[in-house]
Amino acid sequence: MITKKIFLIFIYIFISQLLLSNSYSVEPDEILQNPEQELRARNISKNIRCMVCQNQSIDESDAPLAKDLRILIRNQIKDGNNDKEIYKFLTDRYGDFILLKPAFKLNTLALWLLPLIFVLVGIFILFFHNKKSRKIQ
Amino acid sequence: MKKQILIVPFIFFALILLVFFYLLIIERNPAELPSNLLNKNVPKFETNSLIKKEKFISSKEFGNEIVLVNFFATWCKPCLEEHDYIKRFSNEKKIRIIGINYKDNKKTVINWLNKLGNPYSNVPIDKDGKIAIDWGVYGIPETFVINSKGIIKYKHIGPITEKTYKKINLLIKKIE
Repeated sequence: MITKKIFLIFIYIFISQLLLSNSYSVEPDEILQNPEQELRARNISKNIRCMVCQNQSIDESDAPLAKDLRILIRNQIKDGNNDKEIYKFLTDRYGDFILLKPAFKLNTLALWLLPLIFVLVGIFILFFHNKKSRKIQ
Repeated sequence: MKKQILIVPFIFFALILLVFFYLLIIERNPAELPSNLLNKNVPKFETNSLIKKEKFISSKEFGNEIVLVNFFATWCKPCLEEHDYIKRFSNEKKIRIIGINYKDNKKTVINWLNKLGNPYSNVPIDKDGKIAIDWGVYGIPETFVINSKGIIKYKHIGPITEKTYKKINLLIKKIE
């Protein structure tokens, strides 16, 4: 009975941690009045790296630069710039590193394709190994 | 044939180890990111100057001689640490230095410069950090070397030390 209770408490802590990890740093005064524009800003912010903390997006980061960039993105949206223009503005200044998801480019080709190649090679090796061992049997 | 193939993963593993080991021993700070503005023109901007009455207009300030651009603030401790080196660039090397003052208080900066000495030929004010974003700055102090054609040739992140002081001097001699 007690073990079951402890187990449930653990499950509860685990789930609440998962939900809490979705915290973000957008402050009330930053939020745009137009919900559609705000959603766009949030989606862009989630993919922009905080250059100060480097492993957080500017959506989650409390760093002053992250706040500046969140406001800048919202101002650009208000000015009528599209997502592509905003991403270009940021990568022109901070490089591709500012994107949390690396772009599919010639210099990132290995990054994107190597895992796939490894899987294919693995399947290939497994296939031939099985075939040979079956022959021996 | 089969036995030879078995060597391949070991060679592969050894290669990966070698690459990791190489990255470990070379002098490299992963927090320092290369600037995307290298070999590009300085960003254009206009702002008020802290020490001059007329506005600071970037197109008038760059493109005639080698200029050092230093982003600084009085609240930033590493800026205080590197201040002596900035002064050495100005006094010993006679290099023109522009100090972009980042998110600071006007009075405090004037007092700070009076107390420590002012190595800057001009101090444009970046009140809300927008100019810094245009320069791809993410943590002051940051120092840029701009050649006589107004092109960014080098960027240093963090305070200038004896080592970076020598490095920047060498670079200036090279691009002169």
